[in-house]
Amino acid sequence: MPLRIIARLDIKAPNLVKGIRLEGLRVLGKPADFAERYFEQGVDELYYQDIVASLYERNSILDLVSAAADQIFVPLTVGGGVRTVDDIRMLLRAGADKVCINTAAIRRPELIGEAARIFGTQCVVVAVEAIRQPGGNWKAFTDNGREHTSLDACEWALRAVELGAGELLLTSVDREGTRKGFDLEFIAALAGKVGVPVVAHGGAGSVEDIIKVARLGVDGVALASMLHYGNATIPEIKQALAAAGIEVRV
Amino acid sequence: MTQTSTPLETKYGLPPEVRFCKTCVISNQRPNSDIEYKHTKATKKKTIHFAEDGICDACRMAEQKKHTIQWEERETQLRALCDRYRREDGAYDCLVPGSGGKDSFYAAHVLKYKYGMHPLTVTWAPHIYTDWGRRNHERWIQAGFDNFLCTPNGRIHRLLTRLAVQNLFHPFQPFMLGQKFLAPRMAALFNLPLVFYGENEADYGNPVADAQSAQRDYAYFSSGDASQVFFGGTSVAELKERYGVHPVDLVPYLPPNPEELREKKIEVHYLGYYLKWHPQGCYYYSVENGGFEASPERTPGTYSKYNSIDDKIDDLHYWTTYVKFGIGRATYDAAQEIRSGEITREEGVALVKRFDGEWPARFETELMEYLSIPQKEFPVAHGAFAEPIMTKESFLRLADDFRSPHLWTKESGEWKLRHVIWDQKAS
Amino acid sequence: MKPRVTIIDYGAGNLHSVTKAFAKLDADVELADTPERIDGARCLILPGVGAFGEGMEGLRKRNLVEPLRRYAASSRPLIGICLGAQLLMEESDEFGRHEGLGIVPGRVALLPHAGVKIPHVGWCRIYPASEQAWQGSLLEETPVQTWTYFVHSFQCVPSDPQYSCALANYGEHAITAAVRREAVIGLQFHPEKSGTSGLAMLRALLRSTSFS
Repeated sequence: MPLRIIARLDIKAPNLVKGIRLEGLRVLGKPADFAERYFEQGVDELYYQDIVASLYERNSILDLVSAAADQIFVPLTVGGGVRTVDDIRMLLRAGADKVCINTAAIRRPELIGEAARIFGTQCVVVAVEAIRQPGGNWKAFTDNGREHTSLDACEWALRAVELGAGELLLTSVDREGTRKGFDLEFIAALAGKVGVPVVAHGGAGSVEDIIKVARLGVDGVALASMLHYGNATIPEIKQALAAAGIEVRV
Repeated sequence: MTQTSTPLETKYGLPPEVRFCKTCVISNQRPNSDIEYKHTKATKKKTIHFAEDGICDACRMAEQKKHTIQWEERETQLRALCDRYRREDGAYDCLVPGSGGKDSFYAAHVLKYKYGMHPLTVTWAPHIYTDWGRRNHERWIQAGFDNFLCTPNGRIHRLLTRLAVQNLFHPFQPFMLGQKFLAPRMAALFNLPLVFYGENEADYGNPVADAQSAQRDYAYFSSGDASQVFFGGTSVAELKERYGVHPVDLVPYLPPNPEELREKKIEVHYLGYYLKWHPQGCYYYSVENGGFEASPERTPGTYSKYNSIDDKIDDLHYWTTYVKFGIGRATYDAAQEIRSGEITREEGVALVKRFDGEWPARFETELMEYLSIPQKEFPVAHGAFAEPIMTKESFLRLADDFRSPHLWTKESGEWKLRHVIWDQKAS
Repeated sequence: MKPRVTIIDYGAGNLHSVTKAFAKLDADVELADTPERIDGARCLILPGVGAFGEGMEGLRKRNLVEPLRRYAASSRPLIGICLGAQLLMEESDEFGRHEGLGIVPGRVALLPHAGVKIPHVGWCRIYPASEQAWQGSLLEETPVQTWTYFVHSFQCVPSDPQYSCALANYGEHAITAAVRREAVIGLQFHPEKSGTSGLAMLRALLRSTSFS
């Protein structure tokens, strides 16, 4: 299976924003502009994340999702503030293919199974926001990297899969936005250990970073800063990966 | 049945009617900066001004920053100022006080790398460093700055903090006392005539800080009337008599001699007067240029991870402002981000509703220990407190003494603010 | 005459993308959830995302099962997509045993999972199940080994190879990418999510359909 190159867009409606370590709301432009560019360049998938939905306890991303579906014909995963089965239904109707949950799943893990049973496991992505701890393990966070949980990130990820998650999005909060490379240890702790696809997210700065994490056996990589700030284009990334012997869709 | 309305008591001279700014989330109860040396239980506060249209002065200032101030012109002034003071002979040419937080990182960095200055940085230590605060301070130095860290006598600092809490419910006061004078004192010591503070406080309209205030405060000390100068709401005389504080213990908190400042022609400027200050912008700048690290967790009482994160006492400080003025940390952070255009007022209100006044549980144990006055460490002062050991329970009980009736009411045994921003009808 | 495509709305999600894809190709799109609309359709799309049992329930509740079988028998094009493709089969064992539309002989079963992950999510190259399998279908112009996008845990398993239209290799396994019975074709992948290649298939469908 080719490695999926995924463009991740952090959204604070109506803008594309980019933080560092899930902090900061720097505006980069309109999501549609970036998404269309990535579609034309051959991106395999888009992730739209409403990063303030949990914080403000609201949902405002539906219009953006619909607009994206108008022009972009690759899979779209949407997350941020997804709390109930109804939220999921609305997002899927608006054009999302998969829905990503974190905060709501930790607060009420049964949601994962409920959603999987109604919509199919393939629609349910569980995102794990992990922050490294001094002891060498990782703790899971919610609310866009703001709220502690007592959960060990790896244990929680495994449990989420048991509960019915169809895919895992592993985000290193420490690395995201820094372009200093993925948290390879965190990814390695889970890639290849679960029976569902694993997408690595947080820290990609160069093609070498992507090659390193690809060799850990992930199914996809979600890129944000690296693409939005123009460090590399998608064709450049795919060419370099192919040259390194990693199968990609070209 | 008619209701007689007797006016509710208002503490601290706060305005009896609570109003919220139309454009940000701050209330009219927000106190302006005070002269901490005169701060006692009896002090009446001056609060932020709201204009006829219901907009606060800070928002007015933000409007000016956006529309009326000529920033090119201001930057030209900055360059001229730098040109005047820059030294290429191997000496420092300016002093930048700061903690290594996002603002001071930006200030020192931009002065050095963009404006070609040779800053010496100085830091007045936080009460209790957070792990990431300490690392950020280190990163600041590693980004290319000489730094002097001044840490006051831990026991005295704790005692003054406890007294400030006991008398004024103001744990941050000892930090503020020392921080104010560290820069001018160090500037005098190093013969550095130019001091740059960072962000421009909204009530300052001029680029040069009021150096006169140093003179004024010094007058209290030189006049020899030790009963008129207060630390932690306690006079110097009482500190000596009841709490075993020796005059030398107060050295870090004393103002420099204004004569010396005058002689050395020391000028204190606000960089925020010359450069349009954008706190979030400073966050990105400090990450991208020095590896600044936001707090890995949300600060209690707010949503922010980049604002003022180096001192554990901050957690308590903002909880006390919530008690005294009904204004918690989320309100301060949201007000700033609304004015900077990061979030809308509606979003700010949602954040205030969710986070303001949250009890800071994360460092609770350490903070209560910090505020305690055990006999072994404080043989004299211990006896002067009815309850020398502070617990969460005694802290909460103490808080009640500082709740102004015009702000707080008790409902089913729970304290509730009479006026909250999310219940205001639009007018 | 502008092509008119009828998309069945039976509460199984993902109407938006399919609708927008045809809109982009300049077709009129109508959503159908009544037997009358199905009877009057010239080009019918059965999309779908979710579980088989829920999908059939959605069709049953709206009394669309018989109209669909009737339509299929009329030789007008019927395109099933993803879950829609699976519903064309006779039965499925996803979360229990469920009866399907029975338009294409065969069943729906869990994907073989030795050495691969379930669900199968991602891009796969499709190729004809037999030499003529794509002739006269919307895949006629599609290059062999075109990348298409899959999201599924179950696959169609036709009871006879004649109904197998396209295959894809998933790990060591050849899985069903499309089933076909004359004008009825069930695509396991999502043409509306397969970039320009997928849009080309839908364009071919519109061109080959008689709308007058």
